[in-house]
Amino acid sequence: MNKSSSILKKASEYLLTFLVILTLNFFIPRLMPGDPFIFLSSSEGQVTITYSEEQIAKYKAYYGLDKPMIVQYTSYLANLLQGNIGYSIYYNNSVLSVIGKRVIWTVSIVLAAIFISCLIGTVLGSLSAWYRNGTFDKVLYSFIIAISEIPAFLIGIMFLFILAAKLGWFPLSGGIKTFANYSNSVEKITDILHHAFLPVLTLSIVRLGEFYLLSRNSMIAVLTKDYMRTARAKGLHNKRIIFRHALKNALLPIVTRVFLSLGAVFSGAILVENVFNYPGVGRLMREAVMVRDYVLIQGIFLFVAVTVLTMNLLADIIYRRLDPRVN
Amino acid sequence: MKYVKHIMIGIKRLTVLGKIGLGVVLMVLFLAVFSDWLALHPYSIPSGDALEAPGAGHWLGTDDLGIDIWAQICFGARISILVGFGTALLAGIGGSIIGIFSGYSGGLTDKLVMRLTDLVIVLPDLPMMIVLGAFFGPSVRNIIIVLALFSWTIPTRIVRSKVLSVKQEKYVEAAMSYGAGFWHLTLRHFLPNILPLVMVSVIRLTSRAIVAEASLAFLGLGDPISKSWGLILNHAINFKGIYFTDYWKWWVVSPITAIMLLVTAIAFISRDMERIINTKA
Repeated sequence: MNKSSSILKKASEYLLTFLVILTLNFFIPRLMPGDPFIFLSSSEGQVTITYSEEQIAKYKAYYGLDKPMIVQYTSYLANLLQGNIGYSIYYNNSVLSVIGKRVIWTVSIVLAAIFISCLIGTVLGSLSAWYRNGTFDKVLYSFIIAISEIPAFLIGIMFLFILAAKLGWFPLSGGIKTFANYSNSVEKITDILHHAFLPVLTLSIVRLGEFYLLSRNSMIAVLTKDYMRTARAKGLHNKRIIFRHALKNALLPIVTRVFLSLGAVFSGAILVENVFNYPGVGRLMREAVMVRDYVLIQGIFLFVAVTVLTMNLLADIIYRRLDPRVN
Repeated sequence: MKYVKHIMIGIKRLTVLGKIGLGVVLMVLFLAVFSDWLALHPYSIPSGDALEAPGAGHWLGTDDLGIDIWAQICFGARISILVGFGTALLAGIGGSIIGIFSGYSGGLTDKLVMRLTDLVIVLPDLPMMIVLGAFFGPSVRNIIIVLALFSWTIPTRIVRSKVLSVKQEKYVEAAMSYGAGFWHLTLRHFLPNILPLVMVSVIRLTSRAIVAEASLAFLGLGDPISKSWGLILNHAINFKGIYFTDYWKWWVVSPITAIMLLVTAIAFISRDMERIINTKA
């Protein structure tokens, strides 16, 4: 099988997964106990119907709920294809534009966190592999294993109380100062970075272990290869051996992991944004649940699912492109 | 008695950290089982002044409603243990059964099961849990079911590949040629081989489930009736002025310490178990 046809196969697998998610998204509200037209009275177990039969029939026809399931399903898919994922009742705006306003915040902290954790993790992992089984390696290894066991939101809360509340180094919440007047754009950017610092730091620490372990393992595998002995025998400088000969070959799994970890970082961002009251999609999702804006909840879920799936597909394709051994 | 001896030998092979971890988990289990006697105060109604500092009456102080925090920690242990072990057992047993079946039958069934696991692994779990919780109501039972639906793939994959390799062994081929059926093979040959592997993955799933429940509760999307550790944190963080007073020293620190202790303890045990059992084999 050649490369492009295997990519095509992979893509069709992802398309299937995506279709399953869409179908789930379609059926979840329909499987939910209760009915939009039945009002549950406050005393438990009693159901009161506040609409007459005729009214219910009329509303069902109005919302298209009287049609057979398959017709509803196809019109749902057709709507999605046109980019119409519904209207948020609470925000009084289309779901797409509500998400659009928040997405930039989430995407920036997610990308920043991945970049930082990947960079620092790879450097530390390479150093650890170079000095493997020495004191430096052992201490660093245990330390990083220990922090990567702690859940993200707990690290976030600790930073919030110690660095923001107690020491006052960082703002307590939000993505930007409210009602601030900036004299120039540098001031504004500094303020945004100041607000983003703790969320990014938290997310980076949580992902650090993954990149550290991966680069350490991959580096150890490369360092024991014969061509490394040759490089050393040639009398090359350590720095040159690590970065030019070893890291280049050890980098492949790290590159793919960057894309694969995006889904996990997105999930982590939902929690971390809520810790720091950061105005991204994760916080929006919680707000939507709190105000029972079901259309918006579903829209955000779809958005996150599509993003994560696309990133996984990209990881697959890039891996195939970069590694000549994989067919 | 045979099992007790096995367990004793197993404990002896744990490292110091693993033993500490086991001790902490047993302690939390003790808290959960005997919380009615240990708590001294009710966990859902006020028993003192609001926001009392830790002292003789209230060991860990009280929250804004005057509810004893030590009592909330004790009863919260129940939720964490229930969700953690409930999910792990459900996903461990269910996942193993699917894995054995998939590995044993091979062919189209195997392919379908593997495609299904691929699909579940790609799905982003936290958003999905939030959606399901929002629609079906966030009870502890629902949380366990949803977590199990996202966790079964891990034991399934491990068990399947082990069953595939065991099926190649000479003694299994011999048993098959004598006409051994699915049940005989599973009970006599597959189970003894996969049990240690399943145990390791069940321990990992436990801590994952505990963290997931705490996260959902922290977001305010967990079971609102159960006083879980995450819910205590949720109340504390949403209290106005928590950042500017000293109340966090007992109100926030206690649940965080509880969650971190339990999760790291389980991590220590699981690392030791992986070393002893050697999951790569």
